[in-house]
Amino acid sequence: MVRSLLLGSGLFPAVLNDLMAAESSPLAPKAPHFPGTAKRVIFIYLSGGASHVDSFDPKPMLAQYDREGKTANNRKMLGSPWASKPHGQSGIEVTDLFPHMAECVDDLCVIRGMRGDHNDHFQATLGIHTGSVTFKRPSVGSWVTYGLGTENQNLPCFVVLAPEMPYAGSQIWSSDFLPGMYSGTRITSGPEPVPDLNRRAASPELQKLELSLLERFNRKHAQQHAGDPMLDARIKSYETAFGMQMTMPKVLDLAKETDATLKLYGLERGATTGFGWQCLVARRMVEQGVRFVELIDVGSSHNWDAHSDIHTHAPLAKNIDLPIAGLLTDLKSRGMLKDTLVVFTTEFGRTPNPEGTVGRGHYNRAFSSWLAGGGVKAGIAYGKTDEFGAKIVENECHVHDFHATILHTLGFDHTKLTFRHAGRDYRLTDVAGNVVQAILA
Amino acid sequence: MLKAAILLVPAALLAQSAPVINAQSAPVINAQSAPLAPEGVAYFEKNIRPLLAANCYACHSAKLPKPMGGLLLDTRAGMLRGGKSGVAAVVAGKPEESLLLNAITGKSADLRMPPGKTLQPYEIEAVTAWIRMGAPDPRTAAAPAAAPASSYDWEKARQHWAFRPVQDPKPPVVAAPEWNRTAVDAFVKAKLEEKGLAPQPRAGKLALIRRVTYDLTGLPPTPEEIAAFQKDLSPKAFEQVVDRLLASQQYGERWGRHWLDVVRYADTAGDNADFPVPAMSRYRNWVIAAFNRDEPYDRFLREQLAGDILAAKDDLAAKNKEEWQQKIIATSYLANSRRFGSRANEFHLTIDDTIDNLGKGILGVTVGCARCHDHKFDPIPSADYYALYGIFKSTNYPHAGTEIYPHTYGFAALNPAQAAELKRVETQLSGLDNRIEDIKANKIKFANEDEKKKAEAENQDNLRRYTARYPNLAKAYAVSEGKGANARVLLRGDPATLGPEVPRGFLTVLGGQKVPAEEQGSGRMELAEWVTDAKNPLTARVFVNRVWQWHFGQGIVATPDDFGARGEAPTHPELLDYLASRFVESGWSIKKLQRMILLSRAYQGASGDDPKNEVKDAKNAYLWKFNRRRLDAEEIRDALLTVSTNLDPAPAGEPPFTPETTWRYTQHQPFIAVEKDFATNKRSVYLMQQRIRRQPFLELFDGADPNGVTGVRPLTTTALQALYTMNDPFFHEQADALAVRVGMAFGGDAERLDYAFRLLYGRAPTLDESREARQFLSAARASLGATAVPEYRKNREALASLMRVLLSSSEFLTLD
Repeated sequence: MVRSLLLGSGLFPAVLNDLMAAESSPLAPKAPHFPGTAKRVIFIYLSGGASHVDSFDPKPMLAQYDREGKTANNRKMLGSPWASKPHGQSGIEVTDLFPHMAECVDDLCVIRGMRGDHNDHFQATLGIHTGSVTFKRPSVGSWVTYGLGTENQNLPCFVVLAPEMPYAGSQIWSSDFLPGMYSGTRITSGPEPVPDLNRRAASPELQKLELSLLERFNRKHAQQHAGDPMLDARIKSYETAFGMQMTMPKVLDLAKETDATLKLYGLERGATTGFGWQCLVARRMVEQGVRFVELIDVGSSHNWDAHSDIHTHAPLAKNIDLPIAGLLTDLKSRGMLKDTLVVFTTEFGRTPNPEGTVGRGHYNRAFSSWLAGGGVKAGIAYGKTDEFGAKIVENECHVHDFHATILHTLGFDHTKLTFRHAGRDYRLTDVAGNVVQAILA
Repeated sequence: MLKAAILLVPAALLAQSAPVINAQSAPVINAQSAPLAPEGVAYFEKNIRPLLAANCYACHSAKLPKPMGGLLLDTRAGMLRGGKSGVAAVVAGKPEESLLLNAITGKSADLRMPPGKTLQPYEIEAVTAWIRMGAPDPRTAAAPAAAPASSYDWEKARQHWAFRPVQDPKPPVVAAPEWNRTAVDAFVKAKLEEKGLAPQPRAGKLALIRRVTYDLTGLPPTPEEIAAFQKDLSPKAFEQVVDRLLASQQYGERWGRHWLDVVRYADTAGDNADFPVPAMSRYRNWVIAAFNRDEPYDRFLREQLAGDILAAKDDLAAKNKEEWQQKIIATSYLANSRRFGSRANEFHLTIDDTIDNLGKGILGVTVGCARCHDHKFDPIPSADYYALYGIFKSTNYPHAGTEIYPHTYGFAALNPAQAAELKRVETQLSGLDNRIEDIKANKIKFANEDEKKKAEAENQDNLRRYTARYPNLAKAYAVSEGKGANARVLLRGDPATLGPEVPRGFLTVLGGQKVPAEEQGSGRMELAEWVTDAKNPLTARVFVNRVWQWHFGQGIVATPDDFGARGEAPTHPELLDYLASRFVESGWSIKKLQRMILLSRAYQGASGDDPKNEVKDAKNAYLWKFNRRRLDAEEIRDALLTVSTNLDPAPAGEPPFTPETTWRYTQHQPFIAVEKDFATNKRSVYLMQQRIRRQPFLELFDGADPNGVTGVRPLTTTALQALYTMNDPFFHEQADALAVRVGMAFGGDAERLDYAFRLLYGRAPTLDESREARQFLSAARASLGATAVPEYRKNREALASLMRVLLSSSEFLTLD
């Protein structure tokens, strides 16, 4: 009768969520290994390798060496064009590259000793998403949704908001050997946010007629083949698809957001593109029960890969700074930050010494990320690099450690969230990873 | 089914510590050969001992019951002996060969010490200086006996069912005469009786002809074919259908695709820029043709592993050019291994991909696990992995282009007369690529910056000129012989840390044959012989299991890529061996094997349910019924194209890539197929498939993963699939074409409905269905009143709307 409600009235009954979630489905909410401090994740990934020494790990010594023409280890140093100063109660230093995020620094857990396994984009991008820099593996978002299921069956469990394709393409949000339902669904801000989401039948009535007849035929067929869960699942998949077709536009419709909220994200009313749009949609998605949302600002070109000129960071930073600060503020004021883990990361940092005259090369031996909310300590900087940002001298956080910690906040022992594939129990952290206990609140 | 395979594998975790290699082979320097100079001792005491004590002893001390990796750094002897890897931690005088230094500098990503910490630069310098001065070390305590290098109990290992020789068991005799006609049935029925399971009756004729037609051709049967089969009451009726289907061109397109799943076929190379490989399509077509002509499986494998070597024999190029070409094309199997990075400098990963595929795909063992350490569960030492590695390292793989070197190299000319020209052109272009890179990397010295720029510009000019003149020569993405040389073990799979050399050869557990010392080539020909040796217990078993699984939806071994300790045991071990024996006996004929399976009663059972059986065997492991299944991705698309009559049945050649000379793909601007450029109405096996980016439709419906062996396709049911049939333009287009077909054939709704049901379901509608469908048509027409659909299109649109319903239905998209 739920179905006739759905198909007959054309209205989308709110009760359907609960009913469907209650049925056993691989996407139904599942309890983790132990109670987590975070229930959902917003994963912000800067494509191309954002510089640590120009943002969250400022190094005044670089500017000094640069000015005085001094070298260390026979190499020149490149000072940052952005000044830095301590911010907030915590006094964590951040450069002027991110003035708005700097204001939120008391909510951040800045990790300054990040380390990855590869110095090329493709591999490092795969690494920060899947833990593997060689062969593709399931994405962190797929692992999380495989472990936790999702709260709203009418929306994808794992949503990716990416205007352009990143390095390694959709591999970085692929479920790989995990079942396909845990793959990220890319949502774009065009007229059709998800492939085939928009009704193509000539009218809503016609579509309803089709779905209704299809349901009757399928139900009769299922009765003749009683007890086959695959046939029941097929019937249900049409209800969910219709739910998604109806729900997605509502989630993407920002009309009811207040001017104040739009302003937080730097959004003009009516805007349907830009990183502010992505951030606000992310909030609306997690609010509606989506488990994992990834935000990618740019693609595999014209990105943070500042080989020839570090100043190219400026417009990229401007694009994301206010919206991310707005997202943190918004989540906080709605009481959602406490159980939403916000992750801010990139595939690697950039060299302290110059490439050419004012550019910086790839640098996987040290970079910065931050976490916020979801039960991590706020207003701390964890890990330390030397005076040039060249070497981690205290508390290295390898990508595997980073992943282990993210899973821990969600209630998972990362060594036990496994999937048997090709004779082996695979996990996000391969055979490595230590939870960074020091940053857990 | 996949779920079952994954979740139900017994967790036979053999507690076993890591790596191996005989400790005797480790280089050892005599610890007491030279008296120690006092300065050296002083240096050690001041700089090294405190550092080792503070950073290393906690895990690597003789005082610990189980020092990590068996490595002892608190004695000189332990340091020189090294840990379980058998490689010295310190080689006096040679910092670059000392693993200790590798570990503390983090040169090797997998071997970084101390954990969670980076030593200060001055500390690393001190260790370097100390090793360079000969590693003077006054510590005299003898190292305790080496921790036993883990090794396998080979006697026991060979007792694992899959490594035992294939037997030729006699079929049992069962009481039911219906189950005694074929050996296959006798084995199946005996097991059913043993488990107390009652088999389903025979499937109805409609279900059966739909089942077998999709199974063998990937296409729906026509209403005429269905009617003919239903009318034919002779006992040979089904056999005749099977023979007709096995002889069709469509058979190869379906069964070739199964093989392409195993070999992770893709039309691009998989490097960071994902360069296109148009020539790969020749291999796809070779596979299809091989299935169609029933090429013996052993020969099929030999040609893929060593076709180039076979082609070089007996003056074949002159005697039979086409056969010569086909043998060369077959080796695309190896060339198809994935490329990595931007400059082809991670070739060890490509070889790993080759070995992984040979292991899982052909031998059914996860040899790839032994890249970094001895296999933890199966008897495959790392040395065996590198015995194979040497063979492939001695093989020249073609280069399809990468960001840094965007020109092809090492392809095989398909006209013997053009080989020299192809090589000349390739050498010219790739030589210029190399030179430009050398100039950029300052490997060539110039008087000044201007000279450098000038040289680069000149070379770029030449490149453009030569590229413009690039002749379009027919070529294959094929491998060729290199100079045979053994490989050294890469410790932890890391090319930066070399272990001992191992002779080229085959897996110890399968015989351990070695490439003869006098062999100048790679040893691939020998490898091909070992793999296809009838005495090899795996090759035939693995393949007959795959064929069984492709027919029944599940294998006798539920883990088709893993016959090792972590895989599932066979449900019908005798049947598996019986099939393997007949397969080899028949001259490795795939079609004969299939006939044997298809003509069994087991294959022809109904897919109905039985609550009593459900309790005992919910997974249907013992085949008391036939497994109902959803159509796979290719079948869905091909069936849509068939019933809409839009299908172009002709085989395809190369995908329509832009000309090779225009490719300048990079990791920033990789090759990403624009779908409409590759749109086609040919069968789905011919769809262009990138390695890095999956074809969206195939991905949506669980198509094969072009990055690894797809032994089982996990068929999912998702809302996004439902959205596809609700709203996708291609789907709507086929429904519309079907509406036109049905509408043109008959004038009245009743006849049209009857025709549509027969086309899609192979039966007439019931009275209820007919009534409901006719009501639907009038309601649909009425609902179109308020839309922009013009009046003259309303009937067609309403009919198309009904066709969408029928095409989305479980009856059309699933098989009993």
